[in-house]
Amino acid sequence: MKDVKSKKPWPYWVGGILLGIINIIILFVTGKPWKITTAFLYIGAGFIELLGVDVKDWYYFNVYNNQLSLGKTFFNNELIVIIVAIIIGSFLSVLYHSEFKFKKIKSKRQFLAALIGGILMGYGTRLSFGCNIGAYFSAIPSFSVHGWVFGIFMFVGAWIGCKILFKYLL
Amino acid sequence: MAIYELDCMYEACPIPLLKVLKKLNDMKVGDILIIKTDHSCSIVNVVEWVEKQGHYIDYLETGEGEWEIYIEKAK
Repeated sequence: MKDVKSKKPWPYWVGGILLGIINIIILFVTGKPWKITTAFLYIGAGFIELLGVDVKDWYYFNVYNNQLSLGKTFFNNELIVIIVAIIIGSFLSVLYHSEFKFKKIKSKRQFLAALIGGILMGYGTRLSFGCNIGAYFSAIPSFSVHGWVFGIFMFVGAWIGCKILFKYLL
Repeated sequence: MAIYELDCMYEACPIPLLKVLKKLNDMKVGDILIIKTDHSCSIVNVVEWVEKQGHYIDYLETGEGEWEIYIEKAK
């Protein structure tokens, strides 16, 4: 029998401080704020480009800069490196704690809720230019007001979401 | 004293915490709630919240990445 008590997860404040330090390092090394969902945009756009569609003609990429540095492609840029590193890091961490397992889909309802939630989140991140990392966690340390606006409405959204979950979905 | 079970397997935040919150409302003082989960965040946020509410709580890792959380409603 393993000693279960020694495997207590880190408290939130330890993770928070570490994330803060890592965020500064990422900005220092790559010269760009850390973003997650913009990397998903790159992956999606990259695959569509592989199919032969010229996404650079799309309205979104004409109105908004795709933020890629010169010489970088959709599949080869800092943000992709970071998300691959996050996945490898999480994988090593669960292996180290022997907590790795394949998770199943519990029900059709969970699958649908996750799918619809994912689409809404993805669409929302393009309207707000980032998720809670890009538009919040990277924006506030840069003294940008949009991070605070995003933060306030993120909490409002989470509150409404919890109410809906509690009342109708559980 | 009744014993209830709550299946929170394959569910992520905030579902387990909200399910516990809802279930505790229906329970009487002294009742036991056993939660099965494979979400490591649950053994932090569920435990923290329940302790703050003043109930008794403990948990055990029953398998690799699987836990059982035990709650006794105290008030």
